[in-house]
Amino acid sequence: MTSDADQLARMRSWLWTQLVGQSLPLEECRRVLVAVGEICNNIITHAYAGASGQPIAIALSVFPDRLIIDVEDEGVPYDRRGYAPPDLDTVPERGMGLFLVRQSVDEVAFDVARPRGTRWTLVKYR
Amino acid sequence: MSPLDVVVKEAGPVTIVAPSGDIDMAVSDDVRARLTSLVDRGRTRLVLDLGAVINIDSAGLGALVAALKHARAAGGDIRVCALASDVRALFEMTRLDKVVSVHATREEAVAACASS
Repeated sequence: MTSDADQLARMRSWLWTQLVGQSLPLEECRRVLVAVGEICNNIITHAYAGASGQPIAIALSVFPDRLIIDVEDEGVPYDRRGYAPPDLDTVPERGMGLFLVRQSVDEVAFDVARPRGTRWTLVKYR
Repeated sequence: MSPLDVVVKEAGPVTIVAPSGDIDMAVSDDVRARLTSLVDRGRTRLVLDLGAVINIDSAGLGALVAALKHARAAGGDIRVCALASDVRALFEMTRLDKVVSVHATREEAVAACASS
């Protein structure tokens, strides 16, 4: 997909068809969908600062005990220093994306030691 | 921006807003604008029927929160109803269900909103 918000629905549709055949409970498939969607939101907003037409590559790898989803961009690398967990008691309007990612999958990692951009790796155990 | 299909109905002092499809980053600004516009026109008691919403993301939730704060600042409120299990799960995960009144049905939400 590209860094255009109107492609998110198509991405979800594609990912859903990939996930439902993997013997993962539908509820868990939904959670993966939430996590990948939020990573894409984050890339569109931060890595590409809203610029359209920039590449976002999503790959699903299937193993007997887990699914791994890699999401790669070529934008500004993710800087973890800019992240603070949301204070849910204040009912925030922003900043919930990565929180939802971490709540939705079992492991979240990112790699910025590359020529450009960030590779996010999400792991969901069966 | 993707178009968002929204049906708006009035039931006495209550305005029912029923979007369908996905409330994601593509339409979150639109959702926020539509809800705050209703409040600004004096329709401060809103029922948001999410029964036809399949997916919602953090941007969509943020739009609802912004509209909720706007409505309450104007002396009104937003109640939500008919949440699908996946949407409800996100409300619970973000504790939004502790802040906004969640009702099982539209009728229940409208009755509660009208009497508040």
